[in-house]
Amino acid sequence: MLHYILKRLLLMIPTLFGVAVLIFLLLRVVPGDVVEARYLTQGSQFQSQDLMNQERKKLGLDQPIWKQFTSWMGGVLRLDFGLSMWTGSPITEEIKLRFALSLQLAVMATLVATLLAIPLGILAAIKQDTWIDYAVRVFSIAGLAMPSFWLGIVMILVMLIFFKWLPPMVFTPFWVNPWENLAQLIWPALAVGYRYSAVATRMMRSAMLEVLREDYIRTARAKGLWLKLILGRHALKNAMLPVITVVGLEFAFLMGGLVVTEQVFNLNGLGLLFVEAISHRDYTLTQALVLIVAAVFIFVNFATDIAYAWLDPRIRYR
Amino acid sequence: MAITKESLDQLARAGKPRPRWVQAVLDFSWQRPLGTVGAVIIIVMTIVGLSAQWLAPFDALATDYGSMLAAPGSQHWLGTDAYGRDVMSRIIFGSRTALIVGLGASFIGATLGALIGVASAYFGGRIDMTVQRIMDVLISFPLIILALAVVAILGTGVQNVILAIAIPMIPRCARVVRSSALSVREMPYVDAARAAGYRDSRIVLRHMLPNVMAPYLIMLTAFLGQAILLEASLSFLGLGVQEPVAAWGLMLRGAAVDFAETAPWMAIFPGVAISLAVFGFNLFGDSLRDALDPRLRTQ
Repeated sequence: MLHYILKRLLLMIPTLFGVAVLIFLLLRVVPGDVVEARYLTQGSQFQSQDLMNQERKKLGLDQPIWKQFTSWMGGVLRLDFGLSMWTGSPITEEIKLRFALSLQLAVMATLVATLLAIPLGILAAIKQDTWIDYAVRVFSIAGLAMPSFWLGIVMILVMLIFFKWLPPMVFTPFWVNPWENLAQLIWPALAVGYRYSAVATRMMRSAMLEVLREDYIRTARAKGLWLKLILGRHALKNAMLPVITVVGLEFAFLMGGLVVTEQVFNLNGLGLLFVEAISHRDYTLTQALVLIVAAVFIFVNFATDIAYAWLDPRIRYR
Repeated sequence: MAITKESLDQLARAGKPRPRWVQAVLDFSWQRPLGTVGAVIIIVMTIVGLSAQWLAPFDALATDYGSMLAAPGSQHWLGTDAYGRDVMSRIIFGSRTALIVGLGASFIGATLGALIGVASAYFGGRIDMTVQRIMDVLISFPLIILALAVVAILGTGVQNVILAIAIPMIPRCARVVRSSALSVREMPYVDAARAAGYRDSRIVLRHMLPNVMAPYLIMLTAFLGQAILLEASLSFLGLGVQEPVAAWGLMLRGAAVDFAETAPWMAIFPGVAISLAVFGFNLFGDSLRDALDPRLRTQ
């Protein structure tokens, strides 16, 4: 097992390197760069070519591509992502708070989703084809259909119209003021968590149905075991495997993909930063963000594989 | 009753079994009531989208500053927006935009994905390995981020939005179709075609592609709802369909949020339209998947 974990950790390096090469080349193939983007927003497209070239030289954009790449990679190896081409401030600083916000929101949404999905999925499975089952299924399909940003708008509307209250609009880190922090983040966590729970509930239900048909469940029932014990000890562990996959994938998605919900709740998360970075053609910032999101994705995949082995001792990685 | 040619034809038709497709539709609706509900929503939406200019009570683009932010009432059933445009008419015309983008994007995405998946499985070896690694990298980006990146590069507008939504779908479809195509490749008829000396392109297109239709259709319908959601999200961010085109996501943007307290109908109804459409496509897609592929049945 230890051998396997080490192998997987080492395998992350070539994958991340591939991502780095791809994003690096992709950004440079795309027309326009940060200098052009800046002059376009300032409304003066008629800047002299000389001035623009000077700017490019300052940012190191005049150097051959391989040289740009090696110097960037050299920095990344020392965990130094360089300066943002747009703002000029260190990228680690730009990302730090936003990463904390996105991570906290992702964790909270995952909590909401699993707290809803696991009991609802189990309930739907043991009451299959009854009105409870149908109600759970409609609830979860509806969750998939409603855009979570719209759900967010509706939540804000309800709070505003019925309670004359709005969640705080400025982010306070949890360690500064936990109350303010939760009062702001609980709403997006609920809006996103509902959609997230829909995916997980459906998976929980179908996995549970499959497991309940297994021989060992019938044996447990035949020997008169208490239903709660059968569900909790025998069925749940085995049915959790596919659910964990789904939860892991969604978690990785939440780290970078919450652009629209962040917009609705006025949150400065990684998603919005990403959009800004791309539209500014801020190469260094975009590269750093892509690497971070990809690393989270790969790591979550790895963590789910390890969780498999823990839940199902039959799975042995070599 | 006189014996006429028509009545004889009628008799002949009554004796014959129903055409196969009619029977298939009847079976589907009998066995899968939820899927039928989805299909009905889709059909209604298609009819509404196609006949928008006759159904909509007002011109979707006509501004009427005399009745800005009017509440839902007898004249404007769902109220008006900040420019006095009729919300219901804009929702009706918006269904056309949603359908064009949804169908266009999922068709392009699923088809290109299927082609890549089948070709990758057919050629195997190093080509398969390379293609799959590229797909892995593409999949590791969240759908919306990749779509946003494409829009940032290509610019906004309906056509670019279709492309932006289609591109992130390609690797997802390619992966699923490839796994089915791997088993198709081992079929004797593929060997036979190869032995007969057909070109690779012919084997891929004529012999293998038709046999991965089930996963292709499943992915296509699964993408439809997602594409509509993505279009709404992009338009909401101002990076999708542009004003003054009527699009649901666009209707939720700007004024809808600014005037949410005084004119909540602007923010509520377009969202209901999006949810209903995606709900319909998801219900239908789920049932189609169950019908076409018993292995993936959700029970």
